[in-house]
Amino acid sequence: MNRRQFWIGGLALAAALSAATGQAADPKVYKIGAILAMSGQASLYGTTMSQGLKLAIDEINAKGGVNGIPLEAVIEDHKGGGGQEGVNAMNRLLTIHGTKIVMTSFTAPTLAIAPIADQQKVFLMNGGGVSPKLVGSSKYIFHNRSLSSDLANGALLYAKELGLKKMAQIHWKNEAGDSVVNAAAPIWKKLGGEIAATEAVPQGATNMDTQIAKVRAANPDFIALWMFNPEVGLAIKRIREFGMKQPLIGIEYTPNDAKIAGNTSEGFLYINDYFQPSEDHPWSKQFADGYKKKYGVDPDFYAANYYEGVYIIAELLKRARARGGDYANGEVMKAVLIENPKFDSVYGGQMVFQPNGVAFKRVALFKVEDGKGKFQKFLDLK
Amino acid sequence: MEAGSLLLQLLVNGLINGSHYALLGIGFGFIFAPTKITHFAYGPVYAIGAYATWAAATMLALPLALAIPLGIVVCALAGVASYLFLYRAFVERGSTPLVILIASLGLFIVLENLIGIVFGTDTKVVPDAPSNVILLGPIVFTSLQAAQVVCLGLVSAALYAFLAFTRYGKAVMAMTDNLEMARIVGIDTARVSLVAFAIGSAISAVPAILILLKEGATPHMGFTAVFMGFVAMIIGGIGSLRGAVLGGLALGIIENAGMWKIPTEWQSVIAFVALFLVLVFKPTGLFGTKARR
Repeated sequence: MNRRQFWIGGLALAAALSAATGQAADPKVYKIGAILAMSGQASLYGTTMSQGLKLAIDEINAKGGVNGIPLEAVIEDHKGGGGQEGVNAMNRLLTIHGTKIVMTSFTAPTLAIAPIADQQKVFLMNGGGVSPKLVGSSKYIFHNRSLSSDLANGALLYAKELGLKKMAQIHWKNEAGDSVVNAAAPIWKKLGGEIAATEAVPQGATNMDTQIAKVRAANPDFIALWMFNPEVGLAIKRIREFGMKQPLIGIEYTPNDAKIAGNTSEGFLYINDYFQPSEDHPWSKQFADGYKKKYGVDPDFYAANYYEGVYIIAELLKRARARGGDYANGEVMKAVLIENPKFDSVYGGQMVFQPNGVAFKRVALFKVEDGKGKFQKFLDLK
Repeated sequence: MEAGSLLLQLLVNGLINGSHYALLGIGFGFIFAPTKITHFAYGPVYAIGAYATWAAATMLALPLALAIPLGIVVCALAGVASYLFLYRAFVERGSTPLVILIASLGLFIVLENLIGIVFGTDTKVVPDAPSNVILLGPIVFTSLQAAQVVCLGLVSAALYAFLAFTRYGKAVMAMTDNLEMARIVGIDTARVSLVAFAIGSAISAVPAILILLKEGATPHMGFTAVFMGFVAMIIGGIGSLRGAVLGGLALGIIENAGMWKIPTEWQSVIAFVALFLVLVFKPTGLFGTKARR
C-alpha cells in the first residue's frame, strides 16, 4: 500500500465511520419556507404573519442561530388562498431553495400542498388555516392555531349559557366560512337551539347590507359571525347601523376589525386563542414590545402564531440534529415532536400538540370594551 | 319584520348600491367610450382617490371639506398620468386593443401593489367620519348612503351639462360616435383623451371617497370597483350616460332585491348572469347604439 492508497483508504474509512455514527448533515443555513397571502385581498394576513416570522428569525440569529447555524426565511405568495398558487409556491421552495420545512397558511393552499409534503417529507407548520379538513391532511402537518370548529363550539356553548335560542349566522362563502357553518349547525341544534337565518358573504365583500337586512327580518336572539378580518369589523358596524341590538358572537377580532367597526364594536363577544401580552407572561410581553418597536404596530395573534412557529421549528431542529444524518425534514422533525409534544408558547405557559397534530392552546372568551378585547374567562373545549 | 318590509329594505339597498355602481360605470364609460381604451387600471386609480383623501384627512389633518376635493384632484391626475405615461405611447404606435388591455392589467397590478407598499395593507379609516342612521318606518339607511344617491344625481347632471354645452363635451361625443372620423375632422383626440381620463378618474374618486368614509379603504378595493363599473357600462350601453346610470341602478337592484327569496350565497353570481343575458340578447346594452370603430 503506497502513501496515496493509504490516505484514500483512511478518508473512506473516516466517512464510513461518520455515517455509521450518524453525524448530522448540517446545512450552511436552515431555510424556513413560508407560503402566505403576500398579495391579493387577504394580504393583511401575509403581512402580519411574515412580520411575526421574521422577528423570530432575527431574534434567533442574533443569539447565534440554531446549533450555530443561521435561519433564513423564504417567503412565497399564495395570493390569498389559491390552491394552484400554493402548489406553485411549494414547488419553488422545494426545487429552488431545497427546504423541507414550510410554514403554511389558509385552508385551500394548505390542502393543495399536503400531498406534496407527504411525497417529499416536508414538515408543515400551520398557524393560520382554520378548517377541520386540515387535520390529518398530511402526515407531517402540525397546527399551532385552534380550529374554527372548536372556536365555534366555544361560542355556541357560551350562547347557550346566556340562554339564547334563535341564532342567525353570517359567514364567509369559502372553505374557511363553510367549515364553521357545517360544524356549528349540528352543535347548535344539539344544544336545543334554532337557526333563524344563514347568510353568506364572499371573502373581501365590501357590502353585506342584503345579508344583514335578511338577518334583521329573521329577528334572531343573537348573531354569529363566522368570518374573519376585515369582514368582522364591517359586519359589526353595519349590523349596529341597521339598529340591531342583539348580542354578536364571533371567532376573531383583530386590531384592523376594531379600526373599521369603531365604537360600534362595544360589547362584541368573541372566542379566540388567548393571546394577551402581559407582565405575567414575560415572553409575550417581550414579543409584543419587540414587534411594536420593529413594525410600529401591536401584534395580533396571527403574528404571534408565526413567531411562535419559528421557535417551535428551531427547537425541533435542535432535537432532530441530535439524531444525526439528514434531519431537517418532515420525517425526523415529526418524530422528535411526537417524542415530546410540549413547547413554550408565546401566549404564556406551555402548549401541547395533541395526537391529531393540533396544539392545545388556551382558548378564551373576550368582550370588546373601549375598542379592545377584554378577557372574560377561559373555555374548556376538550 | 314583514316580508313586504324586507323587500322594501332590499330595494332601498339596491338603489344605494346601484348608485355606487352607476357612478363607477359613468366614470369607466366616460374613459372607454371616446378613447376605446379598456382602462382596467381604473380600479387602483379609484383607490388612489380614497387613499389621497385619507392621507389628507389623517396625515395632513385637513378638514374633509378640503381633503375630499384634494382626493378628487389627485385621482384625476393619476388618471391623466396613466394616459400620458402608458396608453398614449400604445395609441400613437397603433397598438391593438388587446395589447392596450394587457398593458392596463399590468398597470393595475403595479398600482395596486404600490398602494399596499406605500400605505400598508391594513384598512384605512377616517375616524369620526360623519354618518347618521336614518329611519323611515321599517327602512334603515345612513346619511353616507343617502349621499351616494345624491352624488349620482349631481354627477350625472354635471356630466350631462358638460357633454351638451361645452366644446370638449361635444368632442367627447364625437369621438364616442366615431374615433377615426373625429380625427379626420381635426379634433385633437390626444388632448380630448386626456380630458376624458381626467374627468372619468375624478368621477371615480366620488364613490371611492364615500366608500372610504363608510367602510374604509384597502389596496384591493379597486378590483370589485372596476369590475362593477365595467358591467354597469356594458349593461347600460357603451357611450350612453343614461345607460350607465340605469345599468348601475339595475345591477344594484337586481343584486339586492334578487336575494329576497334566493339564498345570499348566490349574490356574487347575479352580476355575471345579468352581464351574460345582456350580451346574449342585447349586445349593445340597454341604451347603447351599434358600435362603430
